[in-house]
Amino acid sequence: MNMNTTLRSLLRALWPLLLAAQAVSVSAAPPAPAPAPAIAPAPANAATGAASSPYNDAAAGTRALDEQIQGLKKDVVDLNKDLFVLEEELLFPANTQVAVFVSMDVGDFFALDSVKLKIDNNEVSNYLYTPREVSALLKGGVQRLYVGNLKAGQHELLAFFNGKGLHDRDYRRAANIRFEKGVGAKYLELKITDHQRAQQPEFEIKDWE
Amino acid sequence: MIVAIVIGATTALAAPSAPSGLIGQPAPDFVLPAVAGSNVRLSEFRGQPVVISFWSSRCSDCAAQLTAMDRYYGTYRSAGLIVLGVSVEDDQQRAIDYAHAHAASFPLLLDNTKGVSRSYGIERLPTTVLIDRAGHVRFLHSDDRAGDPSYVAQIRALLDDRIGSP
Repeated sequence: MNMNTTLRSLLRALWPLLLAAQAVSVSAAPPAPAPAPAIAPAPANAATGAASSPYNDAAAGTRALDEQIQGLKKDVVDLNKDLFVLEEELLFPANTQVAVFVSMDVGDFFALDSVKLKIDNNEVSNYLYTPREVSALLKGGVQRLYVGNLKAGQHELLAFFNGKGLHDRDYRRAANIRFEKGVGAKYLELKITDHQRAQQPEFEIKDWE
Repeated sequence: MIVAIVIGATTALAAPSAPSGLIGQPAPDFVLPAVAGSNVRLSEFRGQPVVISFWSSRCSDCAAQLTAMDRYYGTYRSAGLIVLGVSVEDDQQRAIDYAHAHAASFPLLLDNTKGVSRSYGIERLPTTVLIDRAGHVRFLHSDDRAGDPSYVAQIRALLDDRIGSP
């Protein structure tokens, strides 16, 4: 309840800032191209009038406005970050949080198609991978597949991996782990690696202590 | 009078959202397995116009719709058009057989759980959804007039669009 109030007050604080940023962006929209000056600009050696010429004033004004817009954009990004962190803390407090990540190495013996996740025999995720996502994983990316809440105590995670094995054959394997959820956040990693000697993929669940 | 207004408001709230309510809204994202090939995620085509055609083997007009979509895809794929066919089928095997019988050059996807058709509020078949480069639903047709010239005009309008700044 308290967190909700904080979130609401933060949103209330953010709203005028967003409106202001929008107003500034609108006012700073690129103007229609100005007609060519009828009078040729003063020669460069007229140094005395240069500092206060309308061209310099306009340029300085535009620069100041641009800096103001950049500052406002930065504030909005910072506030957005704070809101995201607040949302995470609100929805998944550290004492109950469980997150499951997926990583993949090499992938010569297995082309990932989908991963189904069960925690304590309840299906919590069923994720289909596109070739682009698999490519990102093979480049070293780590995907947060699931984040949720669990009470402290013993739990079991069961992961089903579907895909294609060697010679384009359907391949389905499962891996499980029993883990103890303590007071802190729990992070588990599903690792898919190639076992070169066995010419088989390996599926491992790693518990990040 | 007040009772009538209250009843009207309650009915309006309880009624499922009409498909046309999607127009101008961001197209609901999805990832679905294809009959042949890999999984397809809609959001990966952001920046390209996408046509989604919902079909079923039980729908008599869907074959003509898929043929027309195949023709449009053949014409405009080099310009960046993406066409996806989404099956709204109870029997999975029947959908696969139908897809093989009506081979199309664009991906035919299987909506096993019907979650996608629900999110698009599909009430009749065939239904075609046209999505612009920014990922917003621009046109929605729940009819069997796939050969109508308005389709070509709308596809061309989507292709002519430039992506809006985020």
